Formats: sequence, C-alpha cells, structure tokens
Amino acid sequence: MASLFRSSLRTATAMPRLTQPVSTTSAAAAVRCSGMKNLGIMRQAGMTKKGFHASASRKLLPAGPQVIQGTINDAAEVPDPNAAHGSYHWSFERLISVALIPLTVAPFAAGSINPVTDAILGATIIIHSHIGFESIIIDYIPHRKYPTLRKGSMWALKGATVLVLVGLYEFETNDVGITEAVKRVWKA
Amino acid sequence: MFARSSARITASALPKPFFITRSSLVASQLRPATTTASNSASTQNVSPDDAYTILVAQRKQRPISPHLSIYQPQLTWYGSAANRITGSVLSVGAYGFFAAYAVAPAFGWHLDSATIAAAFSGLPAAAKFGLKFAVALPFSYHSWNGIRHLLWDTGKALDIKDVYRTGYAVLGLTTISTIYLVMI
Amino acid sequence: MNTTFLSRSLLRAATSTSLKPTTTTSIRTLASVATSQTAPAEPGSKEPNVKQFQIYRWNPDTPEKKPYMQTYELDMNQTGPMVLDALVRLKNEIDPTLTFRRSCREGICGSCAMNIQGSNTLACLCRIDVSNSAPVKIYPLPHTYVVKDLVPDLTQFYKQYKSIKPYLQRKTPSPDGREYRQSIAERKKLDGLYECILCACCSTSCPSYWWNSSDYLGPAVLLQSYRWLADSRDEATGARKSAFENEMSLYRCHTIMNCAKTCPKGLNPGQAIANIKKEMAFGS
Repeated sequence: MASLFRSSLRTATAMPRLTQPVSTTSAAAAVRCSGMKNLGIMRQAGMTKKGFHASASRKLLPAGPQVIQGTINDAAEVPDPNAAHGSYHWSFERLISVALIPLTVAPFAAGSINPVTDAILGATIIIHSHIGFESIIIDYIPHRKYPTLRKGSMWALKGATVLVLVGLYEFETNDVGITEAVKRVWKA
Repeated sequence: MFARSSARITASALPKPFFITRSSLVASQLRPATTTASNSASTQNVSPDDAYTILVAQRKQRPISPHLSIYQPQLTWYGSAANRITGSVLSVGAYGFFAAYAVAPAFGWHLDSATIAAAFSGLPAAAKFGLKFAVALPFSYHSWNGIRHLLWDTGKALDIKDVYRTGYAVLGLTTISTIYLVMI
Repeated sequence: MNTTFLSRSLLRAATSTSLKPTTTTSIRTLASVATSQTAPAEPGSKEPNVKQFQIYRWNPDTPEKKPYMQTYELDMNQTGPMVLDALVRLKNEIDPTLTFRRSCREGICGSCAMNIQGSNTLACLCRIDVSNSAPVKIYPLPHTYVVKDLVPDLTQFYKQYKSIKPYLQRKTPSPDGREYRQSIAERKKLDGLYECILCACCSTSCPSYWWNSSDYLGPAVLLQSYRWLADSRDEATGARKSAFENEMSLYRCHTIMNCAKTCPKGLNPGQAIANIKKEMAFGS
C-alpha cells in the first residue's frame, strides 16, 4: 500500500516538470527545485550550512555518549529513600529562606541592631548560601559522571563553609556586626 | 519574491531529453527498480544479543540535540537562571569576605569595617555608584524572586499567566528597589 | 516528436495515478492533494508565498558527518497550515530522506513533538507563522540523543515512566465487589493530569532535565506520578512518595516553569510537582 502511494506521489511531483513547457504550473511544485533532482542541487548549492546551533556546545556540561542502563523494558532505577536528602531537606531549605525575610528587614526597619539577631542573620545567610552552592554542585557535577570531582567539590564546599562560619564568628565578636557594617560602608 | 521565475529557470535550464529520461524512470521503472533492489538487498538474521550489541554501539554515535543555544528566550528560564546567578554573586561575595576575614590575622590584612568604610569613602563617585549597583541589583532581584519562589512553594500562582505576572512584578520591583538602594 | 508524445502520455498517467488515491485517502496525502488538485485549475493565478524551513539533519549512516541545518522552501499557498503539513510535504515531494515521527496529526499521539521556533511543541498543532518571512527553524527535542534528523531517542524517558508504576495500585476490594467509585470532586482532581499524552515536550524543555535526565524524572513523568497520587482509588501513595525521598528524582525541580509554558496540551506539570512537594512536606 505504502509503496503504491509512494510511486504515485513521485509521478505527481514529476508532473510539473513535464508540463513546464506547456503551462506555467511550476508553482504547483512550489519548491525551489522540484522533483528528485533537488536533493543534489540543494546539497551542492550550499543550501546546507553547518550551523553553530546545529551541534550542542560540548564544552559546557558535556552529555557524553548515550548509555542506557538495562534493557528498554527495565524501569529506571529508584534510589533508596532518604528523607534527609528529600522532603526534610526541602522543608529545611524553605524554613531558612522564610526566616531570611524578617531577619533582613527587621534591623533596618527597627534601626537598632541586636547583636544576637545580627549573628543569626549572618548564620542564616551562610546556611542559605551553602544550600545554594550544594544545589549547584548537584545540578552541574553529576555523581554518575564525575564521582571524584563531585565528592571533592562537596568536601571543598563544607570546608569553605566552616571557614566562613569562623570568619563570621570573628566578625560578630570583634567588629560592629553585619547590618551596622553594611550601613557604614553604604553611607561612607 | 523568489518565485516561480527562478524555479522555471532552474527547470528549463536542464535539457529536455534529460527530463524525459528521468521522468520515464520515475513513472515506469520505479516499481521494478524497487523490487530488484529488494531482491538484491540481503538481510541476515541477528540474534537478540547481537542486536543489542549493535544498538549499544549505535547509541554511542548519537549526537545530543542543541538545547541552551536554540531554546527560545523566555521569562521562565531566563528568570530562573538570573535567580541562580544573582544568588551566586551574593554568596560568593559573602563567602569571600568572611573567609578572608577568618584568615586576615594570619596574613596581616585589615578587613575591619572601619578600614573598609574609609577605603570606600575614598573612591570616586562613579566607582561607589558602580559597587553599590553591583550589590543592590543582585540583592534586589534575588530577594524579590525568592519571595516569588516561596509563594510558588505554597502551590499558588503557578498558572502560566501568574508566572508571567509575578515575573514582571519581580522585574519592576527589582528596578525600583535597586534605584532606591543605590541612591541612599 | 517522439519525446513530446512520450511526455504527454506520461502526464496523463501521472495525473490519473496521482488523483486516484487522493479521493480515497485524505490524511496521508494531505500535502499532495493540494498540489494535484489546485495545480491544473489555476496556473499561476496567485503569487507564490515562499517560506523557508531550516531543519536539523543528522544521519546515523554517516555518523562522522556532524549535524547540520538544511534549508528547504515551500509555497505556503500550496501547503496546509500546520508545520506537520509542511514536513509531510517536504518528505513527500522534495526530500524523502527527511526523517521525523508523526501519527495522528491531531495532537493526541504526541509523536511529532519537536522544537519549532525555539520552543517545544507538536508539529501538528503548531501553525506555520505566515505573518513574516522569517524562516521556520525546526530542531529535535532539546538535549536528547538523536536517532536521525528530528527523531529523538526517548528510551530513558519511557524507562522513567515505567519506574513510577503508572497504574492503579490497590489491595482493598471495593465494598460491593463492583468498580471502584469516585465522587465527582475526587474525579475532578484528575482533570489537567489525565490529559497528558507523554509527548516529552515539557521534560525536554526543562534545563534541570537537560543536565540530569538520567536521575531527575522530569516534569512529564512527575505529572504522571501525581496523576496516581491524586487518585482517590490508589492505595500506594506512601510507596510512591518514598520513591521521591532523594535529592534527584523529584527535588531537581527548581520551578523554572518552562514545562507549563511549552505544554502543547495546556497542562501544568509545574503545578503538579509543586503539589507533590507540598504533600511530601506536609502530608496530603
């Protein structure tokens, strides 16, 4: 059936070429160069271009060759449940984010700076940042492809966060506090 | 524009007998040709294991289709990317400062707020403005968009119309608060 | 002499063969119907309205040749209104090697999902923009492995769909031994979920899915999962939820919302995912 169709279609496209000298139905084919000849013409006439867009950028986050685990009929693997990386983590993330709103607004609205509030604000910002960086690492350094780099960057982040928390402690104890410092620099 | 004329030129430029032979091939010889082709083509049975091996080998040849470079710029994912970038800028700044503050005594750096404020006040007005802007803009955007995200987390305003409405609201509020923060 | 005679007879043969099938089958030859019927009737009464189509090409038989864009031109006066009409016409009349998936041509099978003018949609539901002369750019679904031309490999997508157990799970028999009944309100919760045809437009529009498609389930599969979580008859809610208790399967969603923006069926996977997250945190 399909082959029948095919041949009839081909004759249909052949038609305008035959009628060319007789009538001006070339528009019927409505293509730059109709019929089978086109393929050659199009390819030769530079109708094709090597697009910068045609192939994905392979430098950034390269996908690598396609590898499928198991056969087509096997379901994708479901990881072992661990709420600490799932719903608890999500809720904690939101809690920190929500807390940032009053903590950021209050000192500027109230005008006075409570050192404890300021320290809590600093710590919350650091935790929020830590979660953000963690999310970036999970997104862009997949475990399956760069297991070592992934582990390394996670530990590096943990180390950095500890160092930053030490710095925050030093700053809060020796200096004027975040909100007051920002105020002073901003008005300087 | 381009048009029939050029199509005609292409067509008529070709010698007629050529056409006829080609067309007659299409019309009369196509079917026999395909049958002979199918006769001459040889197939071989492949065991399921071999077929799987061939498939796996073929998969490795496949290119990945373009994505970032061709996807339409939309408020949705541009806004999301901006959220991540602004957050990163602020966090890298904060991490950089506090980490430096932690190790400052060891290197003899002076990073106390008084020194920084003094250094900042000594800068030319344009530099002051630029630095304030570089902090105020990401802070504004990330804060407003953060509130938008928290609203989404309650399951609200996720209709695509609301997504755009809130998206433009975030852009507007960001502009206003950035200007305000830079001015004070 | 000889040649003209030959051409005449061939012409007759061509017209008769090309017209015959068009009367019986309308769908598959939709593009050629227009050609064969309008062509002899009005020779050049209308200015041709030429539209360019730039289409992503890659052939697995020559894998060493990099993917490239090929440009075709079609007269819009002779072509159906949808991008799929144009593609079918291109394949039938210009380049039979052009490869793409299509089946129902009415937005219910999801086969012809592709990236048209930068956003994912079904070619059969996407009108060709004739308001301007800009070329129509067509790519396969973004960040998928290409089988050939516009055909993406969706194996992983289907494997992920299978992993969420997309079927009713229930142990308790219905009280009267008949079907499991739902109230109107319960049934209403499935609206906006059951319509999903798994065309993969949303999943392949999601940057998060681009980077982590092997572990993150993506909007389509998560919407499908929510379809069963929201079903009052399903009793596997606990197991379904616990399958999401990890950092990848569900929580790679960052509410980017490309999914809802691109869905050709007007569904909202982002909303479904937000509902799952909420129910995961607070219980349903």
